Amino acid sequence: MTTSAILQAINGTSLAALLFLVASGFTVTFGLMRVVNMAYGAYYLLGGYVGLSIVQATGSFALAVLGGGAAVTVFGYLVDRFLIHHTGENHLAQVLLTVGIAFVVGDVALKIWGGDSLKVPVPVFLRGAMELPGGMIYPTFRFVLIFFGVAIAGVLWLLYTRTQIGAVVRAGVDDREQVSATGINVDRLFVMVSALASFLAGMAGVVGGAFLTLYPGAEWEILIVALVVVIVGGLGSLGGAMIGAIVVGLLDAYGRWLLPEFSYFVLFGPMAILLLFRPQGIAGRAA
Amino acid sequence: MSVSGGRIALGAAVVAMAAALPFVAGPFWMGLVTQMIVFGLLALSVDLLLGHAGLFSICHGSFFAVAAYTTAILQVRHAVPTVLAAPAGLLAGTLLGLVFGLAVRTRGVYFILITIAFGYVVWGIAHRWSSFTGGDNGVTNVPFPAVAGVRVDSHTEYYYLALVVAALCALGYRVLIRSPFGLALRGIKGSESRMRTLGFDSNRHLYAAFVLSAALASLAGVLYVYYNRFVNPVAASFPVSVEAALMAIVGGSGTIVGPFIGSAIILGLRNWVSSFFELYAAIMGIVFIVAVLWVPEGLVGLAARVRGRTARV
Repeated sequence: MTTSAILQAINGTSLAALLFLVASGFTVTFGLMRVVNMAYGAYYLLGGYVGLSIVQATGSFALAVLGGGAAVTVFGYLVDRFLIHHTGENHLAQVLLTVGIAFVVGDVALKIWGGDSLKVPVPVFLRGAMELPGGMIYPTFRFVLIFFGVAIAGVLWLLYTRTQIGAVVRAGVDDREQVSATGINVDRLFVMVSALASFLAGMAGVVGGAFLTLYPGAEWEILIVALVVVIVGGLGSLGGAMIGAIVVGLLDAYGRWLLPEFSYFVLFGPMAILLLFRPQGIAGRAA
Repeated sequence: MSVSGGRIALGAAVVAMAAALPFVAGPFWMGLVTQMIVFGLLALSVDLLLGHAGLFSICHGSFFAVAAYTTAILQVRHAVPTVLAAPAGLLAGTLLGLVFGLAVRTRGVYFILITIAFGYVVWGIAHRWSSFTGGDNGVTNVPFPAVAGVRVDSHTEYYYLALVVAALCALGYRVLIRSPFGLALRGIKGSESRMRTLGFDSNRHLYAAFVLSAALASLAGVLYVYYNRFVNPVAASFPVSVEAALMAIVGGSGTIVGPFIGSAIILGLRNWVSSFFELYAAIMGIVFIVAVLWVPEGLVGLAARVRGRTARV
C-alpha cells in the first residue's frame, strides 16, 4: 500500500513534468496575447508523430525531440500568422478556429500514421526499469522525465524572471498597450513566445509519446488535462502552471488508482469548485 | 416586427413541404432529416446562451447525453413506460443544468474553459463507469416511444413527432426571446455593466437562461435517444458540444431558423463528404475555420446582407 502510494506519487510527478511542457505555452500565450489556442493538444500529437518518424529514420531520440519541436514551431507560426491573427481578441472565434485546426491535424495525422497506438522508442540507456531507494522498481524513462521537466521549468523560470526578454513578457502580460507605447514591438515578442510555446508542445509530444503512446484522440486528452493545469494555476501565470501541473499530475495518478471509474471527476471536480470561488486560479490575478 | 403576409405564406409553404417530405423521400433521407431536427434543437439550446446572452457554453452535450441515458436506462433496463421515462430524462438533464449553471459566476474565457471541464466530467463518467452506463457500448435496444397505447411504429411517424416537438419549441422560444426576460438577456449581452446599473441582477438572469437552455438540450437528448435507439459516450463528447455551437454560428446565431439551417448544413455536408472522402473530420475542421474567418454572421446574416445589397441597387 505504502509502496503503491509512493509509486503513484512518482507517476503523478512525471505526468506533471509532461503537462507543464504543454500548459506553460498555453498559459503564457494567453497571458501575453489573450489568445485561447485549443490546438496545443494537436501540436503535441503532431510533434510526437514527427518525432516518431525521425526516430524510425535516424535512430536518434535527441534528434526526434528537437525535430518534433521544430516542425511544430513552423506549423504554429503559420497558424498564428495566417489564421489566429485574424480573430483579434474574440475568444469564441479563437476557440472554434483552433478546434477546427485540431480536427484537421488529427484527421490528417490519422491518415498518415494510422489509428494504432504508437510508441516512440527511447534510447537504450533509458529503457527498462531501475531500482529506486527502498527497493522499488520504476521505469527509468519516466523517472528521468521528472528531471527533464524540472530542468525545462528551471530554464523557463530563469528566462521569465531574470532576463530582459522575460521582463518584457511579464510587462506585456500586465499591460500590453503600455509596453507597446514604450516602443517595444509586441507583435515580434509574441512571435518569439509563441514559437517557444509551440516548440515545447511539440517536444512534449515526442517525450509523452515514449510512455503514454500516440493515438488518435490523444490530442484532446492531453489538451483537456493541460487546460485544467492552466485553470488551476491561473491563466497567464508561469508559476501557476508549475503548481497546477503538480496538483493535476498527482490528482490524476491517485484518481486513476483509487477511483478508476470516477477519475475524471477527481480531476475536474476540485477544479470546478476552485473556479467557482476563485475564478482566477491559485496564482492568477483577477481578469 | 409585424408578421407580414409574405412571411405567413413562406411559413405555410415550409410546413406543407415538411409534411409532404415523407411522400417523396426514402427512409434514409427521413432518418437524416430527423437527425437534423434533433441536432437543430440542440444547436438552438446552445444559441439561447450564445446568440442572446453572449455566453459560449461547451457542455451542452452533457445535458443532451444525461437526458438520453436516463430515458434509455429507465426504458430498457427497468421497462418504465415512455410517459415516465421521457419526462425523467428531461428532468435529469435539467437538474444537471441547475448544477452546471453555477458556471455563470464566471465570464468570457473562464466560462468557456469551465464548461469544457464540466463536459468532460460527464463524458468521463459515461465512458468509465461501465457497470452503470454500459461503457463504450452504451445502452442499446431503446424501443420507439409509446404513450397510452399510441405507439410510433416507423421512422416516418417519428419524423412527424420530432417535427411537431421542434415547431412547438421554436414557438415557445420565440415567445421567450421577445419577453422582457429575453430582452434583458440581450441587454446583458450588449453591455452587462449598463444592465447592472439599471438594476438587473445579471447573474440571476444568466443562471435562468442557462437552466432553460439545459432543459431544451435535454429535450433534444430525449428525442435523440428514441430516434437513434441507443446512446453511448459519444453523445456527451466534446465534438458534439462544440459542433452544436458551430451549427448555430453557420446557420446564424441569434435567430431561430439559423440553428436548424446550420444543423442541416453540417449534417448534410458530413453525410455527403463521408460517402466519398475519407478525411471528413478534416473537412469539418475546415468548415470551423471558414465559418469563423469568413462567415461569422452565419448564412441567415449573409442572406440578409446580400438582400440589403440588392435592395439598394
